[in-house]
Amino acid sequence: MDFIQTTFLSFVSLIPVTLAQSLILSFVVLGIMIPFRTLNFPDLTSEGAFPLGGCVCGVLLASGASPVTAIVVALLAGFVAGCCTAFIHLRFRIHTLLAGILMMTMLYSINLRIMGKSNLSVFGSTTVFDWAPFTQPGFPASKIVVAGLIALVVLIVLTLYFTTEKGTAVRAVGANSEMAEAQGINVWAATIGGVGMASAFTAMGGALMVQSQGFADVNMGLGILINGLAALMIGEAIVGKQTVLRQLAAPFVGSIVYYQLVSVCLAAGMPPPDLKLATGLFVLAMLALPSLRRSRGSAPVREAIRE
Amino acid sequence: MLEIQSARKVFHRGQPDEKVALDGLSLKLKTGEFAVVIGSNGAGKSSMLNAISGALPLDSGKILINGDDVTALPVHKRAVRLARVFQDPMKGTAASMTVAENMLLAELRATRRTFRRGLNAKRLADYRERLSLLGLGLENRLDTRVDLLSGGQRQSLSLIMAVGGKPDVLLLDEHTAALDPRTADIVMQATVRAVESLKLTTLMVTHNMQHAVDYGHSVVMLDAGKVRLEITGEEKANITVADLIGHFSVKTDRMLLAS
Repeated sequence: MDFIQTTFLSFVSLIPVTLAQSLILSFVVLGIMIPFRTLNFPDLTSEGAFPLGGCVCGVLLASGASPVTAIVVALLAGFVAGCCTAFIHLRFRIHTLLAGILMMTMLYSINLRIMGKSNLSVFGSTTVFDWAPFTQPGFPASKIVVAGLIALVVLIVLTLYFTTEKGTAVRAVGANSEMAEAQGINVWAATIGGVGMASAFTAMGGALMVQSQGFADVNMGLGILINGLAALMIGEAIVGKQTVLRQLAAPFVGSIVYYQLVSVCLAAGMPPPDLKLATGLFVLAMLALPSLRRSRGSAPVREAIRE
Repeated sequence: MLEIQSARKVFHRGQPDEKVALDGLSLKLKTGEFAVVIGSNGAGKSSMLNAISGALPLDSGKILINGDDVTALPVHKRAVRLARVFQDPMKGTAASMTVAENMLLAELRATRRTFRRGLNAKRLADYRERLSLLGLGLENRLDTRVDLLSGGQRQSLSLIMAVGGKPDVLLLDEHTAALDPRTADIVMQATVRAVESLKLTTLMVTHNMQHAVDYGHSVVMLDAGKVRLEITGEEKANITVADLIGHFSVKTDRMLLAS
């Protein structure tokens, strides 16, 4: 009984901090979802684009740039990284996953070059979170408000975009690229632009993370992909993916729920090093579920034979 | 008008399995002409359609649509003037998108896509009307994902999508071959109605000799990457299935003797 109580209390005390973190990381989940679901382009670039955004933002903040400039430049850097991954895949016919691995490996060196060292403190720099007038010790209201607002704007803009004529064409590329081409859609442009946009969101998540935690680290992307995938699976299980709005809301909802679940595990005393194993097993289970359901679908046949 | 000028394409050039797919093939279709293309497997029918659509770059030769040289244009640029219905119903539609969204994609084939909302009330009403002509009830299923439709419904949708923008050239690639006879007939009737009322310049590949006899203004027989026979006018109007098969067996015998 004591165990449950202490777990519960420590979980509740962590809810606001976790919420702020999950809102920031929801952009990474979005950056994983867009290529994966709307372009049929499983992409691993985020593992490199997230620290890329962080490093770019860190260096700019340290040199006295405004936090918005830092975010915009990080966004552009991420866009270029994503475009490169898509180009490698299209031009050299290299599998999307391998193209992503190549890109994230190369980005590791690039990120180190950008920062000049593996870790950079930007503590004390002005951040976008300073502009929200809610400062309360121990409760990150400003982070929740700012990150939540950005998330809401991104969600609305993307929902509108993907139902425009141009956005519908981009979705067609993921649904059936051969058909899209026959309908006059430039598959190369849509793929490069779409994957670029996704990596831009991932990099923006990295930039916001650096402004939130006060330092940039080349290793900050480690395992971000599997966390993002787990969050996406949860989000899709909750809100579904039948419509454009649902598919786009899934990363945000999934991110919020997933990081709270992680928080529960940690509050219950799970050693942090075990977290990646647990997350991996969870993603595996979610991905395996459809095939498990299918084999269950054959049950009526057996019953029919019995009759 | 569609014109193919001595198109040549060789696969695996210089290798033991070298195959001449198109061997100086030339063909000319007047505006509004409906030609049926027949020929045995490997005669070059698919290569010819792919060359016209742009999916297969030629080694030499030219493709002209309404007098304009499109040989160097990629698939998506040729799509402005050209529509195609594939043999496989899965290929011509986006399965995970709705009927209305597929119609929208087809409508925008020849135009510049904007940042305006794609599906508006006016468009939906237009799609409903055009789909109702099929008599398959698709007009009431605009929000249904295409992968929930039957093969025949999907193929009918592909056809409506293809003829929608009144393309300069319509390519039909054995588009009824994967359907059951009754559905194939429905799709075929809809095809003929559209082609005749819109006076579309059409190239239809088929293995069905009865279709070759019943439909079109001319029959083009391909063999070994060339046009071997073109039957037009009076002769086409009076031709029978037996005549066509007769032509086939002659060619086959000759091919056998030659090899």
